[in-house]
Amino acid sequence: MTHFFSRLNNRIHFLICFISSFANILIIMLLSPPNKAQGIFGNIFYIHVPIAWTAFLIYFFVMVSGFLFLIKKDSIWDYTGHACAEVGTLFMFLVLISGPLWAKPAWGYFWPWEPRLTTSLVLFIIYLGYFMLREFGGAPEQVSKYAAVLGIIAFLDVPIIFISVKFWLPEMQSHPQVGEYFSGKSTLPTLIVIYSLLSFTLLSSLMVRFRINTLRLADKRYR
Amino acid sequence: MRSLIWKEILSELRTKQIISTMVVFGISISLIFALSFNLNKEVVDLISPGLFWIIILFCSTLGINRVFSYEIEGDSYWSWIGAPIDRGFVFLSKVIVLAIVLFLSEILIAIPFFLFLNIGIQFSVFYFIIILVFGTSSILSIGCLVSGLALRSKIKGSLISVLLFPLTTPVIIAATKSTEFIFNQRPIGEWSFWLLILITISTIFCLTGYILFNYFIEE
Repeated sequence: MTHFFSRLNNRIHFLICFISSFANILIIMLLSPPNKAQGIFGNIFYIHVPIAWTAFLIYFFVMVSGFLFLIKKDSIWDYTGHACAEVGTLFMFLVLISGPLWAKPAWGYFWPWEPRLTTSLVLFIIYLGYFMLREFGGAPEQVSKYAAVLGIIAFLDVPIIFISVKFWLPEMQSHPQVGEYFSGKSTLPTLIVIYSLLSFTLLSSLMVRFRINTLRLADKRYR
Repeated sequence: MRSLIWKEILSELRTKQIISTMVVFGISISLIFALSFNLNKEVVDLISPGLFWIIILFCSTLGINRVFSYEIEGDSYWSWIGAPIDRGFVFLSKVIVLAIVLFLSEILIAIPFFLFLNIGIQFSVFYFIIILVFGTSSILSIGCLVSGLALRSKIKGSLISVLLFPLTTPVIIAATKSTEFIFNQRPIGEWSFWLLILITISTIFCLTGYILFNYFIEE
């Protein structure tokens, strides 16, 4: 079994990720914030929103992998689901850190019960349960199936949680400050968000591929 | 399907294990809540819908914990695994019977709950029963699915609670909101949205459980 980075395509993937992420951080740090009152904290928007999108995208792949594993019973889909759940939860954790950091200067308090942020928190807690199920659920072959099912029902729950929280506190509007970033004639903020999203998606794909490789190696070694 | 439901009802009628634990537990929590909040009328009016659904959620975990484990303890699990029946029907029969049992428990818990917390029954009991039915079926459609997932776990009880509570977040929000509107005697038009959420959740998770049970419940 060869090492992950001994393959040329993986090395190229890593190099592209490194350059794009470095450039992304540099752009965000050097960009002047749209709202002077929020200062440099206003630029968290360019990190917070793309990592939230990436986290939900990865969780979507947990659901897809779950369906494919239950239908095809091929362990590659179990590794994919497991790897996506780990990387998705890491990104979701970053969302829950960056969200309150942005909320404080924007809303005036750390936890605004904003629907997207609350949905992220509930999903994060569900996925903590997912890892408990993986660890203590029983025999590995059965746990793979249980985890696949939980990945599916967790994602099915997302729109319902979002709608419930949104109407639970109707006075709490979704990201009222987002308009400030896109209100001007300049398309620069939109382009930066798109670039940041691509950069984080690329990084997450590398992390998922790396974890799939590790899980596959670990499985062959111990089974 | 009818035989499966009858089997579940018969099993509960003989032991009365689930209903007795749920009712006693529910009344105990109602008493604890009443003592904790010093019967402050304003506070109780504000939080009583939420308290009621917290009690129901806690009681439901007792039933959800038992719904599959008594079959493993009595070695009957292997009988229905080997039987030529659709496993999705087994899931649906468990949801239906547990919903009936929990609904009866809710009625028995609601009386001391209103009594202890001095809540007057000036609201529509019919609407309240509708919310109870759909709230219960929503919790149990998710709960029976989670119970099936934690079937082989050594920490089954803890795992069910860890998975059930975050997954039922929208159910608790919708049930609490609609109960709040009913307690305040608001017209159905104002809270029909929350009723719709409860109907949607129970439908989605009953269908998901019915489809997925065939895939993950195996020998």
